[in-house]
Amino acid sequence: MKGEKLKKLKVRISNFKFKDMLQFKNMPLRRDRAIEQAEDRDIVTSFPINNNAKLLHPETQRMVVHKIIERPEAGARTLILRTADGSPAAWFRAGQYVSLKLKIGESCVTRPYSISSSPKLTKEGKVCITVKRTIGGFVSDHLIYNVKEGDRMLISGPEGFFYHDRLRDSRNVVAVAGGSGITPFLSMAYAIRDTIEDFNLTILFGSRTEDSILFRNELDMIQNETDKVKVIHVLSDEDRAGYEHGFITADLIKQYAPEGDYSLFICGPEGLYRFMEEETRKLGLPARRVRREITGAPKNVECLPGYPSEAAGRTFDVKIIQGPHTYDIKASSSESVLCSIERAGIMAPSKCRSGECGWCRSKLLSGSVFIPEQNESRRHMDRETDHIHPCISFPLSDLVLEVPRGDFQL
Amino acid sequence: MAKEYDVVVIGAGNAGLMAALNLQRAGKSTLIVEQHNLPGGCASSYVRGRFEIDPSLHELAGVGSMENPGSIRKMFRELDLPIKWVDVNDCFRVIGKFSDGSPMDVTIPSGRAEMIDAMEKYVPGTRKKMEKLFRLFDEVSEGLEFFSRTDKYDLKYAIKHFGNMLVVGAHSSKIVFKAMRLPQRCIDILSTYWSYLGVDLGHLSFLHYAMMVRSYLDEGAHIPTFTSHELSVALEDKFRELGGDIWFNCRADSIIFEGDKVVGVKTPYGDIACKYVMANVNDDIVYGKMVPKEHVTSRIRRLSNARKHKYSARMFTVHLGLDVTREELGINDYSIFMVGTADSEKEYSNMMKGFESNEFAILVCYNVVNPKASPEGTCLCSITTFGSPVDWNGLKPEDYAEYKTRCAEKLMSIVKERAGIDLFGHVEEIAIATPWTFARYLGTPEGCVYGHATSDWDDIISRTLQMNKDYPIKGVRPIGAGGPRGDGYSSAYQCGEMMAQIAIKELDGEAAV
Repeated sequence: MKGEKLKKLKVRISNFKFKDMLQFKNMPLRRDRAIEQAEDRDIVTSFPINNNAKLLHPETQRMVVHKIIERPEAGARTLILRTADGSPAAWFRAGQYVSLKLKIGESCVTRPYSISSSPKLTKEGKVCITVKRTIGGFVSDHLIYNVKEGDRMLISGPEGFFYHDRLRDSRNVVAVAGGSGITPFLSMAYAIRDTIEDFNLTILFGSRTEDSILFRNELDMIQNETDKVKVIHVLSDEDRAGYEHGFITADLIKQYAPEGDYSLFICGPEGLYRFMEEETRKLGLPARRVRREITGAPKNVECLPGYPSEAAGRTFDVKIIQGPHTYDIKASSSESVLCSIERAGIMAPSKCRSGECGWCRSKLLSGSVFIPEQNESRRHMDRETDHIHPCISFPLSDLVLEVPRGDFQL
Repeated sequence: MAKEYDVVVIGAGNAGLMAALNLQRAGKSTLIVEQHNLPGGCASSYVRGRFEIDPSLHELAGVGSMENPGSIRKMFRELDLPIKWVDVNDCFRVIGKFSDGSPMDVTIPSGRAEMIDAMEKYVPGTRKKMEKLFRLFDEVSEGLEFFSRTDKYDLKYAIKHFGNMLVVGAHSSKIVFKAMRLPQRCIDILSTYWSYLGVDLGHLSFLHYAMMVRSYLDEGAHIPTFTSHELSVALEDKFRELGGDIWFNCRADSIIFEGDKVVGVKTPYGDIACKYVMANVNDDIVYGKMVPKEHVTSRIRRLSNARKHKYSARMFTVHLGLDVTREELGINDYSIFMVGTADSEKEYSNMMKGFESNEFAILVCYNVVNPKASPEGTCLCSITTFGSPVDWNGLKPEDYAEYKTRCAEKLMSIVKERAGIDLFGHVEEIAIATPWTFARYLGTPEGCVYGHATSDWDDIISRTLQMNKDYPIKGVRPIGAGGPRGDGYSSAYQCGEMMAQIAIKELDGEAAV
């Protein structure tokens, strides 16, 4: 069979078969010659593309607290962070967040905060975040009561997908903001004013009272400078002339939404997302027209449907394996595994703390955890193979968990 | 004191994972250190809303059928890794222009006989020539297997059995296709896969191309059901199960020597002692950064500098989660190549000039072959093109989002105009991967994914023959897309396996001494 094949198949390139064969035989020689003719200088290992990618997506940015603006009316403060070396901060898309990496006491914790400033300020090395005090908030207390101007702080590069994308979102955006949920929209409004972004933004902004409105002056100013941004204040605890009163309902959204196609962007506290679920349904928008900012882990996980009640109120032994190290720690059923890791002073990576970014992806070697359905966004195969996101995983038993390396070195 | 390992594998890409698993299985205590928090490198996935997106894999060669497994299916089987493979069925549809400028819309099924039939339909009178071409493919395949088994080959035996392969062996695909007297239109159709190797037919070794086309036609193409993360996580977990250690977010910056002997690797956890290092890292980084200068020979430096075009074409991909079904969009083909021209040399040169002149796009709709690719009522598509680094070198970070969006818009417009498929207005999720993206996550030079571009003097055959000359430092083996096997998933897996076998031999040899 093979002989028959060979007889029929006679491939010719040049006139002399052996010339081609010789050429084949001499391929290594040809290669040697090409290499010998090249210059003997150092191998290039720095490339513009890689350097640019690092500028846009730095692993960490070393910042100092440049200035603090107190906002007592809203129980909040704005931290103006500036790069420690004065270089530009990473450019971001208005609406993105940075993850703060903090050492508080013995703990190494992260927290995501939406950037509230214009992307333009990154040129001056500046990035602003606004922190609202929450009752019993371990990190917000620290940021509000302990942090002072001149302190150094480590933050991530810009993260998240809560920004306007013209191939995805409508040119008209209706934003629903609750309390400090205004921050990403303030950044978007600045970006529109600074002609960095180009879309129409109608913000329905829920506050308790007129006096407690966050960024009142800033929002007024932007509205005067561009007609692409409109802000409607909705007061829940006060009925005043010139303001909407009550909650941000489907009817209210319809009243202010532009004719035809629009995208609905939602950002606020846990309660707002729950309330908006039903209101969004009433609006009948397609899924691609509704975007929610990350929500964080739910507060009272033990009350969620599907939570096995026998695990509630318990403390478990957790073995953490991290590179060559192992740690034995305690973990409470009411806290995410990530919180327990941080409490124990172990440096572990995380960013969104909502299950979305997957930065904390870890291998569960034994034991079981509860993962709230609303936060489940693991890869399919990770779900099948016990890879978990500790930021939204709650222990139901003793655990052995392998976590990636974290870095909190200032 | 940290554990001492036989081997440290730097980088958990396809080659790294495969090498590590083979080493650990052979009883060599192995540690993988990976800079990212995921295994797989390009072979991965990410979640956006209700979509899980594969960042790179279109089709995997060498899987074959259950009954007739190819090398990759065998490799995973042997490692006892149950992968849920999906058969891609058809090879491709290509829409564009033939070299002579006339319109082209051709669909090529997988399977040799089916392909020859289809070719006869599109270019009548080619049946005999195509059969001959396939016989040449077979001879090349047998010949290459023969060469891969022996270091010093018997030339007389080779001439007798693989004479035709020796005749064509040094030539480009273009020259051989011409010598086979294939009509230009037939060559145009056969050219379609060139972009998967990132080099035009004038500079693409015939042997290399023949192996790929033969594999796709005979064995078909496959994808895993749950993205290429399925492959990587299977390898990751099996490696752990066998006792291997894998550390994520852990970039190793340099290899430690004592005299001319490898003794360890520097990691953020401290120095880790080992006897042997396999680096799933481009060799320019291995020799330019990781290995101390005094160990880097003149030939290593010259080889790097001889590679003028350096790295293979850069990738640009738009991933789209769409809120309609593929049927509603009228997508019936898994992969549609939209080419400016079927003349690969012209097309390649247009691409290299920059995005403005680039008319090339591949549309892949995963749901065509895999109903599980996305939730009911939706579909998942990607549009890929290749390009030059010039567009991405001088771009400022603040212009990046707008530029990549504009490029994505152009690709979506190409799909709309050429294939009549309108994706605008259905985008629920979008992710755009550029050379910056690959540079960010993989750290490869210039964000390349194909390693060093192959060229006439630097094709995979010559690389394989000169492997020991290219990697002369004992105890350090660069593996992966830049390696002797070239780019692509299957090549990377094969490279990892092959290099692990070499490492095992070298380690055992050392122990015997």
